[in-house]
Amino acid sequence: MLDQLLKKLIRTGTGRSRNTMALAGLFIAMLLMLSAVQVQSNYQQILYSKTSEDSIADFLVINKIITNKNVGEATLSAAEINDLKQQPFVERIGTLTPSNFRVGVQSVSKQIPFYSDFFFESVPDEFLDVNTPDWQWNATSTFIPMIIPNMFLDMYNFGFAQSQHLPQLSQDLIKNLPVQINIQTPAGVVNYYGKVVGFSDRISSVLVPQPFMDWANNKFGTGTANQPSRVIIQTNNASATALAGYLSKHGLSTTTEKTRFEKYRGIINAVVATSWVTGGLMLLFALLVFTLFIQLAIASAREEIALLITLGAAPKQLQQFLRKQFLPANIITVMIALVIVFILQLILQKALALQHIFVNAWLSYYTLAAAVIIMLLLMFVNNSAIKKYIRQNT
Amino acid sequence: MDGKGTDPIMHSEQIEYMQLELKNIIPTPLKYRFLQRNSDVWNKALQFNNGEYVKIKAPSGTGKTTFVHIIYKLRKDYEGNVFYDNKNIALIKADELALLRQQNISIIFQDLRLFPNLTAKENIELNRVLQQPLYESNVIDAMAEQLGIASVLNQKASLCSYGEQQRIAIIRALMQPFNWLLMDEPFSHLDKNNIDKASALIESECKKRNAGFILTDLEDDDHFNYTKFLNL
Repeated sequence: MLDQLLKKLIRTGTGRSRNTMALAGLFIAMLLMLSAVQVQSNYQQILYSKTSEDSIADFLVINKIITNKNVGEATLSAAEINDLKQQPFVERIGTLTPSNFRVGVQSVSKQIPFYSDFFFESVPDEFLDVNTPDWQWNATSTFIPMIIPNMFLDMYNFGFAQSQHLPQLSQDLIKNLPVQINIQTPAGVVNYYGKVVGFSDRISSVLVPQPFMDWANNKFGTGTANQPSRVIIQTNNASATALAGYLSKHGLSTTTEKTRFEKYRGIINAVVATSWVTGGLMLLFALLVFTLFIQLAIASAREEIALLITLGAAPKQLQQFLRKQFLPANIITVMIALVIVFILQLILQKALALQHIFVNAWLSYYTLAAAVIIMLLLMFVNNSAIKKYIRQNT
Repeated sequence: MDGKGTDPIMHSEQIEYMQLELKNIIPTPLKYRFLQRNSDVWNKALQFNNGEYVKIKAPSGTGKTTFVHIIYKLRKDYEGNVFYDNKNIALIKADELALLRQQNISIIFQDLRLFPNLTAKENIELNRVLQQPLYESNVIDAMAEQLGIASVLNQKASLCSYGEQQRIAIIRALMQPFNWLLMDEPFSHLDKNNIDKASALIESECKKRNAGFILTDLEDDDHFNYTKFLNL
């Protein structure tokens, strides 16, 4: 009842179109800022998550440059690996464990007969860009899962198959094609079944699960364990000059093409920074306009407010009333922006999933936290404006 | 939200007594002029006890309204002190002052001070709901009926005659709890018949609250059984 009467006395609805425009401004500001936070957090997720198949984080496989001098002994010593680990640009490091036994692979299918000598390497799972439940092995497994480079398949399909008049093979077909793996041991040849479960763009090697490699090296290995000749690192900045300098100084080499992701990163950073700045400026203006509205509403009801106070209205009552007039629109605007960012995120998630890039369909906690912080900021600015101008009028 | 039933007597904890004490008050701008006159009020020590009916008589221009405004804390340009229950009103803060005006002191201004854009009823209603309501809304209708302004309740206050506005202001003042009712020439635009009705209503409302009042006027009158009579 009091609110209804106060509403008649203190008109806050003056300049409805201006008010709508200010709210629209707040809405766009919110959209930009919340999207910026969400994009940033999506980017972090893609960069560091272990579930993404096509992580665009910079994983570099590093090995020694083979020269005429070090042929046959291009392995990395423990000291060299440890030194690499200490470098600021290295976030994680994993060694590629080579197999210490001789392997041959042979087809079990009569339609596509082949035999080849082969090799295996293994790498800790968190460095893989393939995410499949088939990627596991224990002593009771019926087959050995393998990951082969996409490049192999390309070479076969577009080079070898065509020149030899052989059929081209799809990824799915290869995954359904079991092979026989022959491991040479001092006691003779042992047979296993193997299956390709994934294709990697990141590591150009034939990979088997680490547990199998450890077990097989132990069981079939000949002689001393080989020192690794390749390591994989995750770096926060593949184009860092420090990285390039370090590699050349130590006679190491890596795939240079990896730097292409730097371009994406630059674009994302620019987009995020632009929406931050634009959103921040718009928020600032929106806050300014809201403060002016409050000032205007209070100033235009100056006499009424004075009489209300004279009759015994407490400044607190008036402040509470004004808060109820101004805040809900702000909060609803922030909420709508949040919902829209959420919808955009859903669409983005679906679109990226088609390209095997996985981000969370839900908004990140950072986005929600940003919305809460901005909402608190709005409340604070509104409240202090209301307090200030009511006090000036009492 | 509409109060505690129709029982016109306030909840017992609200029946409290409040002493009003004036210690040598005198408005600063009129200090020398007023000091030359012999006044019962200016620059005197006075004590009004709860339930007293105080009449202050004064000719025009001797500071009636100034006096009322000083003890309602609308003016600060005075010397001396005003105490409600030993509390100096010069020292209380805005929110405490609001509480005092909501619970302890009600007022009828000489210039009425209604909101012109609200209806008569809304003007009264506003003072009813400014605090935890003392009366139900229908008490407004009953009082309006009693004072003969029931027909203008839904009319904008600015469209009511001055006499009607005066009665609206009286009912508005009676809608809230109080220990002291301040009245500044409350009947200036009412005829004898209406003054009798209004004073009867005011007296009965004061009795219900065990409250006192201070009334200022130009002339002597017998509207109430005054317990104290002062010349300004």
